[in-house]
Amino acid sequence: MNRKWGMSLAMLVLAAAMSGAAASWAAVDNGVCLDCHGDSSLTRKDGEGSVFVDQKSFQYSVHNINGIGCLDCHTDVGDLDVSQAVPHKTPLAAVNCGGCHEQAASQYRLGVHQKASHKGIIIQCQACHGYHDVVSNENKPVRERENRSCLKCHNPGKYHNWLPQKETHFTYVQCTVCHAPNMPHVIHLRFYDLAKRQFLEPERVLAALGTDFDGFMPMFSRDAKPEEMSADEFENMVFALNRRGLYVGFHAELLSQNDPRVHQVTKVSAKRACADCHAANAPFFDSVAMFFVDQNGGVHQYKLDRKVLESYSVSNFYLPGSGAVSRLRPLDLGGILLVLGAGVGVMLHLAGRAATAPLRKRRHDRKEGEAD
Amino acid sequence: MEVMNAIVEAGLAGEEGASVAGLTRKLRKPVVAAANKMVYIHHAPIRVWHWVNAAAFVVLLLTGVQIRFAGRLNLFSLEEAIHLHNYVGFMVISNYFLWLLYNLGSGQIRLYLPNPRGMARKIKEQVVYYTYGIFRGDPNPHQVTPEDKFNVMQQQTYAIIMFALIPLQMATGLFLWEIKRFENYINFMGGVRIVNLLHVSLFFFFAAFLIGHIYLATLGHTPLAHIKAMFTGYEEE
Ligand code: HEC
Ligand code: HEC
Ligand code: HEC
Ligand code: HEC
Ligand code: HEC
Ligand code: HEC
Repeated sequence: MNRKWGMSLAMLVLAAAMSGAAASWAAVDNGVCLDCHGDSSLTRKDGEGSVFVDQKSFQYSVHNINGIGCLDCHTDVGDLDVSQAVPHKTPLAAVNCGGCHEQAASQYRLGVHQKASHKGIIIQCQACHGYHDVVSNENKPVRERENRSCLKCHNPGKYHNWLPQKETHFTYVQCTVCHAPNMPHVIHLRFYDLAKRQFLEPERVLAALGTDFDGFMPMFSRDAKPEEMSADEFENMVFALNRRGLYVGFHAELLSQNDPRVHQVTKVSAKRACADCHAANAPFFDSVAMFFVDQNGGVHQYKLDRKVLESYSVSNFYLPGSGAVSRLRPLDLGGILLVLGAGVGVMLHLAGRAATAPLRKRRHDRKEGEAD
Repeated sequence: MEVMNAIVEAGLAGEEGASVAGLTRKLRKPVVAAANKMVYIHHAPIRVWHWVNAAAFVVLLLTGVQIRFAGRLNLFSLEEAIHLHNYVGFMVISNYFLWLLYNLGSGQIRLYLPNPRGMARKIKEQVVYYTYGIFRGDPNPHQVTPEDKFNVMQQQTYAIIMFALIPLQMATGLFLWEIKRFENYINFMGGVRIVNLLHVSLFFFFAAFLIGHIYLATLGHTPLAHIKAMFTGYEEE
């Protein structure tokens, strides 16, 4: 799976080796640090800045869930000398995220942000990801992803004037879809509660259906392709939820897949040709999926056939040009027939007039004769 | 000289317009007489509006086709098509309001309001004319005068177009211009697909209408008579 890409092999081996003992081992370790750093009033000696670490958000961070403790990142703390107010050396070395996320780091080097270091602008990993509260973004909507990263520094509304429907694009298309081209994309569907007008947590959906993360797909996808839900199976799922009192719609957004190449942010080769997406059968829409993230941060991906995008339940999803996605074929057919019909009607009338011209002439001459 | 004549004629016409027209019809010697009677039918602002609108419609239809069938057609790039469509769309909207103001201000708006009296009969006459009489060489049952410039079918078609379909097309077009900005209205109308459905259906309707409209415009005394009149303002009596 893509998300493992970024991990160095060594790290994986280490993680596997530790997996048994890690939980308690790491917990104790973190606890020692948090004895001091869990105190929200703890500041640096010179009073400049807090050294508080929010235990709650750290607890739910993808790193803690995966057994990465304080010392895995702050590798140079060393043995604590608890007789001191500051029991370890300061300043500590900067955390090297790339030590574990090698792929991400090497891809990042190819993007504009790392290159900005030539100009003396240093943009670290945590500028986009945070550090103690890193979470997997896989089930997060575009806006949330961008608010945490790109929009902290850029105001895209100020440029992109060439882009029609700017705001609509920014709401439904992740920046990196255009700015990190040549990497895989996915259309992500999220459950929306039509009655309460809010997004639905996957847990509620699963509870309503009386199933769990593993049972969800087999419950509906029963055809020859069990790993992908077809459009019919998708409708069945919607009906099943309706029967259980949950009236759902879906919001569809175009996201970058979780892949290290997302870090190759570029301006010059950013996608600008509208027809890349707005075309019948654009490959951009081949991959449609729902992502559920469980309590432990595990990501469950459910693949869908692209035809589900035509479903009435995905009614926010519309884009001109992409036939297989949302083209209302009968409408085009009817329209073309109407226009052709008008043309044919005109031709017939014209032909009728041509054919009856001698008749009119005779009549005209006769009248003329009468008048004279 | 002829023009002067016609202006005087038109000025005089006023209330008696219909009877003057009736008189000329009786007096008319086909062909020769018809050519020199000119009546001022289309006021300058209306002519300007008409041709601006006509040009804009052609652009909107072409770019509209490109937007609708993006990836299958290559008249323009989609980006160009959309920008052009937007600019021209706003042009049509402002043009529409100029038209509306002029018609309200000058009272000409009444030209579009059919008189219910005798309407059924007039419709019948007009239908019979276009499906039968025109082939035999019968005269058009409706005589164009400044006071009564549309036949009853034109009147109704134009009224529906100008007071219902164009406003609907303008509203849906405006919403589709920036979906995010008009999200609330779009949701109120049932979502972007419904709004788009309306806009595209009307697009096809207007395309079909244009074909009929242009054809009907060639049914004057000479094929170009009505079209010339739309430039000069003067319709041959
Ligand atoms: C006895 C309390 C105490 C404990 C236990 C403690 N620290 Fe600290 N730590 C501090 C104080 C106080 C500072 C502020 C130092 C300063 O003035 O810059 C600090 C600073 C830091 C900094 C910031 C260093 C810098 O470069 O600015 C990091 C990172 C840190 N601690 C990590 C840890 C980790 C990891 C542990 C557990 C292994 C830990 N600390 C345990 C008190 C503690
Ligand atoms: C995923 C790696 C990672 C983990 C795990 C981690 N930290 Fe950090 N921590 C960072 C980064 C990155 C910074 C920012 C400064 C830097 O680059 O050194 C930081 C900064 C700090 C600071 C300085 C204050 C601040 O917020 O900038 C303290 C104190 C700290 N960490 C304590 C801890 C403690 C205690 C734990 C364990 C509960 C912990 N860290 C776990 C990456 C991590
Ligand atoms: C000690 C190794 C280690 C370090 C250092 C580390 N990480 Fe991680 N990181 C992991 C592991 C393990 C996971 C969970 C497995 C996975 O999803 O790849 C993870 C997951 C992530 C994810 C979520 C990936 C996903 O699937 O969505 C992000 C984002 C991330 N780390 C960013 C950072 C950043 C930013 C830093 C530096 C502040 C950092 N990591 C430092 C080991 C590390
Ligand atoms: C921490 C702030 C920060 C964040 C977060 C950030 N950027 Fe940037 N970005 C910058 C800076 C600073 C530059 C200017 C680099 C330069 O001048 O060469 C830049 C440059 C760019 C450029 C190239 C602009 C140019 O003129 O060459 C693009 C494109 C870009 N960023 C896109 C993004 C995207 C997409 C994201 C989110 C994934 C993002 N940025 C997140 C700070 C940020
Ligand atoms: C539809 C594709 C697309 C999307 C979506 C998009 N961009 Fe861009 N962006 C571009 C293109 C193409 C350019 C280069 C335009 C040019 O060459 O003038 C650009 C230019 C930029 C620049 C450089 C501006 C400059 O001229 O200095 C930045 C920064 C940027 N985008 C950030 C973002 C951010 C942040 C987002 C997400 C909110 C975003 N973009 C979404 C296509 C996109
Ligand atoms: C300009 C913003 C930005 C910066 C800086 C950045 N990332 Fe990312 N990163 C992203 C985006 C965007 C994604 C895609 C997921 C998402 O939408 O949040 C991502 C995804 C990831 C993932 C999960 C996907 C994968 O590769 O497995 C990891 C891990 C990661 N980043 C690590 C890093 C590391 C390490 C650094 C520093 C070398 C870094 N990131 C710097 C924006 C950034």
